[in-house]
Amino acid sequence: MTMNDLPNRARSISSLRDFLELLEDAGQAITWSDAVMPEPGVRNIAVAASRDANGAPAIVFDNITGYPGKRLAVGVHGSWDNIALLLGRPKGTTIRELFFEIAGRWGDQEAQISFVPEAQAPVHECRIEQDINLYDVLPVYRINEYDGGFYIGKASVASRDPLDPDNFGKQNVGIYRLQIQGPDSFTLMTIPSHDMGRQIMAAEREGVPLKIAVMLGNHPGLAVFAATPIGYEESEYSYASAMMGAPIRLTKSGNGIDILADSEIVIEAELQLGERELEGPFGEFPGSYSGVRKAPIFKVTAVSHRRDPIFENIYIGRGWTEHDTLIGLHTSAPIYAQLRQSFPEVTAVNALYQHGLTGIISVKNRMAGFAKTVALRALSTPHGVMYLKNLIMVDADVDPFDLNQVMWALSTRTRADDIIVLPNMPAVPIDPSAVVPGKGHRLIIDATSYLPPDPVGEAHLVTPPTGDEIDALSKRIREMQLGALS
Amino acid sequence: MTTTVCGRCKSSGAVTDHQGRQDGAVVWTILRCPTCNFSWRDSEPARAIDPAVRSADFAVDAGDLQRYPKILQQ
Repeated sequence: MTMNDLPNRARSISSLRDFLELLEDAGQAITWSDAVMPEPGVRNIAVAASRDANGAPAIVFDNITGYPGKRLAVGVHGSWDNIALLLGRPKGTTIRELFFEIAGRWGDQEAQISFVPEAQAPVHECRIEQDINLYDVLPVYRINEYDGGFYIGKASVASRDPLDPDNFGKQNVGIYRLQIQGPDSFTLMTIPSHDMGRQIMAAEREGVPLKIAVMLGNHPGLAVFAATPIGYEESEYSYASAMMGAPIRLTKSGNGIDILADSEIVIEAELQLGERELEGPFGEFPGSYSGVRKAPIFKVTAVSHRRDPIFENIYIGRGWTEHDTLIGLHTSAPIYAQLRQSFPEVTAVNALYQHGLTGIISVKNRMAGFAKTVALRALSTPHGVMYLKNLIMVDADVDPFDLNQVMWALSTRTRADDIIVLPNMPAVPIDPSAVVPGKGHRLIIDATSYLPPDPVGEAHLVTPPTGDEIDALSKRIREMQLGALS
Repeated sequence: MTTTVCGRCKSSGAVTDHQGRQDGAVVWTILRCPTCNFSWRDSEPARAIDPAVRSADFAVDAGDLQRYPKILQQ
């Protein structure tokens, strides 16, 4: 595989299988064929792999004890190298470069959506409508040792707005955690501010059915973009297609929802109106367990899958994990785009940390205190409303993706009274530092330099050489280092 | 021998949801507690499923299920 082929190869991906093939060709996917117990074997291997945030390969298990013939993939989006290949960039592309790759695609492309008749859609190759047993279809395992059950952690859940079911744009696709509750039932965890939470509450308020299609083992672009906070009336399919610069093939699920035609597995289910079942705990992205709560329950009505399907799942828990590489850049890019609509002075946004619980924003300061104004705007972006808890504001000469530079800015440009605490703000319920679940404090640290009318002014800075030439030299040094080993 | 006592809330009466087989022999059983909804596989390490050694931090109080909040209330 030559470097020049990468963009075309990435655009030609239409399924998880295509992407796994690409990853394998690039040395970024391995098959684990030694016999492994579901617990704790799968977890141990997934955690060991995810320690290498830059280079971890996807792992395909094909010999899990008690699941003969079944395949499980973890870590598909588990490293920056895998994300780079998905975006058509070579291994070793820096996180900053990947960020600008995505930010540059924002709003730039047209969606290319095509519809495949159900009879020709690979996802419907095999169909189960009676005696449904999810345990017989999915090689599940306990993701973290005190999870309340067996979780599907990387499901893209598609649904139509129960009050406007014919509106394509109001279809929702989102990633929600699902706990299997018996052979043909599962609970779904969401919050009122998420699209699925809104739809469940609307269906229950109006007494109308809510049908969903749970897609597993999907086009790797959808897994990335279904987790991206975009507007309620924007279709995640259109968005994913536009961002990938590639066509997306849809078909209909048996219960009438638009789904990816090339997914590995789709579970069709219906909300049991008004019913709640105990759910959790689940080891979540802040690195701590959620509580036990009563969550909406869905009854499975049918399952479709490809022949020899691959069940794709995720390790999530105390970071660094696949969750961070899966959603990090696509959490950052929308905040960047939304901020730049008001403030073109914003030069980059790094919200990689725990889904943006900490974010670092670089900005060209227009006047004294300007960065604080930008920070307050960030808190009112769709993602900022719930997630951006700690914000560090740096100048445009600081790369927010280089934590050494960020620490330099904190060390030399922050006064203790450059900190703002906003008490009793909305908080993500699973943030363990919240005052009560759902309510907590926000922190803004202004680490930008001083401008008039501030009397101090900018310090006389040392300016070491930077730019393309230095980047190229860094890469050459690294290559010489690697060459010395071989 | 598979126990039907829940490792999390210590209620009895767990139901069998599935059995994994390898070369025709049952190699593990998945059980579910109808009281607290804990699901487990009988082949898991004892610290996750055995009520005698499992961490009390993750116990569920079967006598007070009302304490667990209901999400998405109107």
